[in-house]
Amino acid sequence: MSEIGFLFAGFAVFWAGMFTYLVILQVKIRNLQSQIDLLENIIENHDEV
Amino acid sequence: MNLPTQLQIGGKLLNANLKQAWRDKTNWITAGMFAVTALLLYSFAFNLTTGLVRNLLPGVIWTVFLFSGIFATGQSFQHDRQNGILDALKISPIHPMTIYIAKTLANILMLLLIEFALLLGATILFSEPLFTPQLLLIVTIGTIGYTALSTLLSAINLDQNNGGLLLPVLALPLLVPLLIASVEATSASLQQEAGTAPWILLLSLFTIWSTAIATLMFPLAD
Amino acid sequence: MNLNNIYELRWKVLPPLAGVAMIGMAALALVTAPTEVIEGDVQRLLYVHLPSALASYFAFSVTAVCSILFLLKRDFKWDSAAQGAAVVGLIFTLLTLITGSLWGKPIWGVYWQWDPRITTTLILFLIFSAYLIARKSSSLDSDKSARFCSIYAIIGFLDIPLIHMSVRWWRTLHPQPIIAKLNPALPDEMLLVTLFSVLAVILVAAWFITLGVETELLSQRLLKLRAIAKTNISEKS
Repeated sequence: MSEIGFLFAGFAVFWAGMFTYLVILQVKIRNLQSQIDLLENIIENHDEV
Repeated sequence: MNLPTQLQIGGKLLNANLKQAWRDKTNWITAGMFAVTALLLYSFAFNLTTGLVRNLLPGVIWTVFLFSGIFATGQSFQHDRQNGILDALKISPIHPMTIYIAKTLANILMLLLIEFALLLGATILFSEPLFTPQLLLIVTIGTIGYTALSTLLSAINLDQNNGGLLLPVLALPLLVPLLIASVEATSASLQQEAGTAPWILLLSLFTIWSTAIATLMFPLAD
Repeated sequence: MNLNNIYELRWKVLPPLAGVAMIGMAALALVTAPTEVIEGDVQRLLYVHLPSALASYFAFSVTAVCSILFLLKRDFKWDSAAQGAAVVGLIFTLLTLITGSLWGKPIWGVYWQWDPRITTTLILFLIFSAYLIARKSSSLDSDKSARFCSIYAIIGFLDIPLIHMSVRWWRTLHPQPIIAKLNPALPDEMLLVTLFSVLAVILVAAWFITLGVETELLSQRLLKLRAIAKTNISEKS
């Protein structure tokens, strides 16, 4: 691999790493929030009953 | 409770811990057997039978000490926890630092027994002067250093699902300075070089640091 | 404006600021910065390698501080914050190691050298991986686990200077044939680009830490709600 190849690989890994982690976190937060909303609804309904 | 009383109780706790260690000697004998087996394994793996032994022996000895020592101290609070002794100690007016120091001292004494025995055996196996006062000093300082940290880490039994592997994974990266300093000091001592002092200094520094921080942190762990 | 108000602004301020800074950093690093005379274009990896290393130290400092705060206040939000920051720290440590290897191969001819800084970075990675493994192996609301791991994080963080010192002494005793400095004295333009890159990446790290902390806090909340829901169901039956 040429010098430019290593430079490209380095930057690619860095940016890919950033984006991947960002996406993972956003998905996780969204999942957690939807589970929390669901449980809060269930609890609210139970309290009303 | 004042200091003289704490010291007195500490002495009694140490006595109790040593008596328990004697009753529980299977654990310590197993650690000793592990150390011997590991040493033999390294002998075969690195072909330590030849005269090039001196270069590799310090590293071999210290990795054996660290592995067997950490596995042995992993069981430190097991008996106390199972029999409610730890709970009783927690609600007593005995200072947590006293409990910790008594336990650690007991571990250090037991480990030094195993290590000195291993050094004697290694002296015969490899025809190297491993039982010198300087080397015994290095081993003692190093043992205090790693036992202090591993006793603290064994204080909380988190390792239900990991088969006892969590403790070495936690302890060993922290012990890199101790390992480097011990191996270099041992190596310099074996080669009878002048460079022993700086490494013994670094080793002592790390031991003082690890003992101090473990003693200070133990009360917070309860 | 107190600290809480500033913290509330994080979603409005950090993402756009970090985003713009990173785009600026990419342009500066790949285009504007001059080519290094000896190492050539591959030296531009400095602008991601060094900021990643600093971002990881920043993240682990947050972990250590939050761990201290947890031990003092016994509020689980600090434990969550410590864990969130630790994950970010590990990501940046990994990026430091990978970019360092990719920079090292064309310069040194090997992917790894036992250079004190990069060796210490590897041990740092092991320490905080162990921290997360220990913490995640117990329940999120386990007070014992949180206390123990906080202690471990503090000891691990404080151990780093000692590790660096001992590895450096060890390396001077066993020198390697070629020791190339990763960042010799930088000319002004390169220094400016480096400083800007460090700022940009630390902004990103701060953003990721707030996201990570949010994730952990939500996980804690979910655990609590599950417990309440379980109680309600068992009451019903």
